[in-house]
Amino acid sequence: MSANHTGIKSRLQKMWQPFSQVPMLGWLVGALVAVGLEMSVGTPLARFLGMSKIPVLFGFTFVLKDPLLIPGVIVYVLLIYILPIGLIARLTARPMNRLAAKLLNTSMLASVLVHLILLYAILHLWSDISDYRLLVTRLTLVAVMLTLSLNVVNGYMGEFSCSHPGFMALGAYTASVFSIVLFVQDNRFGPPLLPPGLGPFAFPLILILSGAVSAVGALLVAIPSFRTRGDYLAIISLAFMFIVKSLFENLEIVGGARGLGGQPHWASLPIVFLWTILCIWTINNFVRSTLGKALNAVRDGELAADAMTVNTSRTKMVAFLFAAFWAGVAGGLFAHILGYVNPGTFDLKKLAEVLAMVYFGGLNSVVGSIVGAVSYNALSEALRPLELFKWIIIPLLLILVMIFRPTGLIAFKDFDVRKLLEPKQKPEEVEHGLAAR
Amino acid sequence: MTFFLQNMVNALQWGSFYALIALGYSMVYGVLMLFNFAHGDIFMVGSYIGLFVSTALLGLVGFGVINLPTPFMLGLVLVLTLFLSMCLNSFVGMAVERIGYRPLRNAPRASAAITGLMIGIILETGNLILLGAQRRKYPDELVQIGSTPIQILGVSVTPKKIAIVVVSLALMFALHQFVRRTKWGMAMRAMAYDYIVVPLMGVPINTIALLTFALGSALAAAAGVLYGIAYPVLDPYMGVRFGWKAFVAAILGGRGSILGAGLAGFLLGFIEIFVAAFFPSTLRDLIAFSIILVILTFRPHGFFGEPYSAQLRL
Amino acid sequence: MALLRVENMTHWFGGLRAVHNYNLTIEAGQIRGLIGPNGAGKTTIFNLITGRYRPTEGHIYLDGQEITGLPPHKIASMGIGRTFQNLRLWRHMNVLDHVKMAHYSKITYGLIGAFFGTAKRHRQEAEIEERSLALLELVGIRHLADQIVTNLPYGDQRRVELARALATDPKILFLDEPTAGMNPDELIQMMEIIRHIHAELGLAIFLIEHRMKFVMDLCEIIQTLVFGEVIAEGTPDEIRNDPKVIDAYLGKEVET
Repeated sequence: MSANHTGIKSRLQKMWQPFSQVPMLGWLVGALVAVGLEMSVGTPLARFLGMSKIPVLFGFTFVLKDPLLIPGVIVYVLLIYILPIGLIARLTARPMNRLAAKLLNTSMLASVLVHLILLYAILHLWSDISDYRLLVTRLTLVAVMLTLSLNVVNGYMGEFSCSHPGFMALGAYTASVFSIVLFVQDNRFGPPLLPPGLGPFAFPLILILSGAVSAVGALLVAIPSFRTRGDYLAIISLAFMFIVKSLFENLEIVGGARGLGGQPHWASLPIVFLWTILCIWTINNFVRSTLGKALNAVRDGELAADAMTVNTSRTKMVAFLFAAFWAGVAGGLFAHILGYVNPGTFDLKKLAEVLAMVYFGGLNSVVGSIVGAVSYNALSEALRPLELFKWIIIPLLLILVMIFRPTGLIAFKDFDVRKLLEPKQKPEEVEHGLAAR
Repeated sequence: MTFFLQNMVNALQWGSFYALIALGYSMVYGVLMLFNFAHGDIFMVGSYIGLFVSTALLGLVGFGVINLPTPFMLGLVLVLTLFLSMCLNSFVGMAVERIGYRPLRNAPRASAAITGLMIGIILETGNLILLGAQRRKYPDELVQIGSTPIQILGVSVTPKKIAIVVVSLALMFALHQFVRRTKWGMAMRAMAYDYIVVPLMGVPINTIALLTFALGSALAAAAGVLYGIAYPVLDPYMGVRFGWKAFVAAILGGRGSILGAGLAGFLLGFIEIFVAAFFPSTLRDLIAFSIILVILTFRPHGFFGEPYSAQLRL
Repeated sequence: MALLRVENMTHWFGGLRAVHNYNLTIEAGQIRGLIGPNGAGKTTIFNLITGRYRPTEGHIYLDGQEITGLPPHKIASMGIGRTFQNLRLWRHMNVLDHVKMAHYSKITYGLIGAFFGTAKRHRQEAEIEERSLALLELVGIRHLADQIVTNLPYGDQRRVELARALATDPKILFLDEPTAGMNPDELIQMMEIIRHIHAELGLAIFLIEHRMKFVMDLCEIIQTLVFGEVIAEGTPDEIRNDPKVIDAYLGKEVET
């Protein structure tokens, strides 16, 4: 084989080859070791490399403020993240593949649980380092819920809904009012009606209630707009968004334009994580079922769907209300993470953000929404030191994505959990492969 | 009665801005089947262009470059400002079309809508970066023109307000004539009717698209300049405030209907002014949008639109 | 009792009378044809019976039950399946999902099953998949199950539509120009498939077509529709020789 034919691309492919055999389990274990490493030696290492403390966002903020730190940051990221993860993943590929196969053989549930626990451990340890990380992680998880729920309407159903900030607002305020009125001593609402100790246990119920209220709000949008198809949902949902914002600005009883504070801090990382997983799980289940795929049928050919026994009105209504439900839950969590909510948050800017996340990540795709939400938030945080220029770069980036991949980065992709968790190579084959070489 | 007439005049003025901006939305929606969410910010840019043009012109006058009696001079500056801003802003609009929308001509319309949103954000941020947070004002000399109130039918009204309404109506009429009577206007109407077939008949989509954006942006600039002399203090987010409401007005008027967009713009102006007259101003948006929502519930295609219609009608 | 009975159906679109006094009886297992010049109203009649429009006048009965004015998805689930003149496939979906989708009305696992993945849902989805694969086998495209429909050649796409319509378990299958755009070979194949389906499933078929050979060979009774009215109804031989039909539609050889 002539050396001239080994181009860069094929060289990279060859380098990646051993890593392509690492199962998800291997990556998670590698990441866990990395964050553990950061916890134990992160601070002294950072100081040694010239940074004042552990870089909270992989060094982006440091680098943008002080470019001299670039070499130090690169070394840090290499030593703490890239090398440990890479090494562990590569070296443990065989046992990890065996373990992954064993878990899947036991039951899908066992495999999923193990992976989720690992994932949670990684997030927990990672965000333990600083309050900022904890906040960003939780807000990103909420963003995932928002993006995913909007994708159900804009991606799977092919509509253009602008009312998500409104649903979020309804959920945020509902949750806040119930939490505070029932469980908190508050200047405005007086003493708690129920023992505060019960609060955290009532929180799930409060969140479900918030979702329900948002769903009822969704009816106000759906009923007028579903009688006709086309762009009417866009306009009506836009009007709805303005109305909700204006409503809360004028509702003095919940603080009006000044907002409402004092929500108890029940939205801890495990709680937010659990609700996000629940959201991803239910939505993924839904869109993979025939009932859920009916959304695509309605989007791509409503007349044909009608003729194939699909109840199109019910399908649209269910999807819309379901999406609003999760937006409401996300809103409720959002309010309790910040401990404060005000109507100004749920404005056009929020709409632009959530639309950006959906379209950037990819329409009609659970993976796309997760990727979109996480990368958008990461980018938004990482570019924070650039201040105003952030809002030139991010929109430009999105425009580029729209031009070259109009439906988003990872669109129309099925989220096959089994495929994600299965061993990337049969353990026996691994033996064979080594022997053949 | 005087109360009603007084507010009527204000409503007409306020509505003029909405109507002129709504026309841009309506035309782009009618001819190109897309929502140009950057249009509100094009209005903002037009207003700022007017600010700079007028300042420059007044500077020229101040240096004695041209010598004519003063009130006439100021009037001339104003007219030139309006004209030049419209021309310059049409280039801005065409640039937006060329850079942001043309690459997405065959993409799903939602992607184009997102692009528009992003362009709008870039325009707003660009303004903040270039001009800073300080609020800019239209030159006092121009703002003063025609601001001494006169009494008509017991109502106190400034000639400026009347002029604004008259100019707006004149521009709308000019647009109507253009679309109705010129070859390019006919081409635009044909495009609105059949997006796909028309280019096959030798009508170039790219030129029509540029033209549509140019016209819409010119009208937005007119609205911007007129707004500037009526409410001199500008800010980078004025486009957001006006733009979205004008957008809803355009939809209310009916897809691609110039007459409809104009009427709906004035209607929105009326609603806002009269609501503000009776209710606390914080309720203004709430009530205005609720009314619009109710109208759209019963007539989702707007005043002059038809369900699924694809015509730029007048 | 007739499987499908249409009585005195008349329909106006605004000021235009599209269908006038239309009557139809289809017995179980019968194959009937509807021919006529373009614009005669054939597809409109399909749309009226399948519920897309509510007829201005007249009544439609399926199995003795009145279905006039019912929503299309209800009529479809009651036993009328159809294909479309211009293929109406769902462009992002694969072949198998198309056929599965038509089982919508049979799904009983509800939202709980859909959101939470209950055992009932898995069971039903598996059953649906099995039935769908069998239907694909019946029309000869099982090997294409995972393909996105837009990747398929036209003839195969038509078969997908057919399989999809069959998935609704129809008592009557409405076929709207099933051979449009096909070459002679594909035509023969389509004829075979339809005969095969008819023999296997015993359903009634109501067919709109322009290809006379196809119609004459398959159908037991044919209606000729011109300007919304039936001008002739009878066996293929009767229609072939009916002067009114020849005049309005079939045409004559020119005397030399």
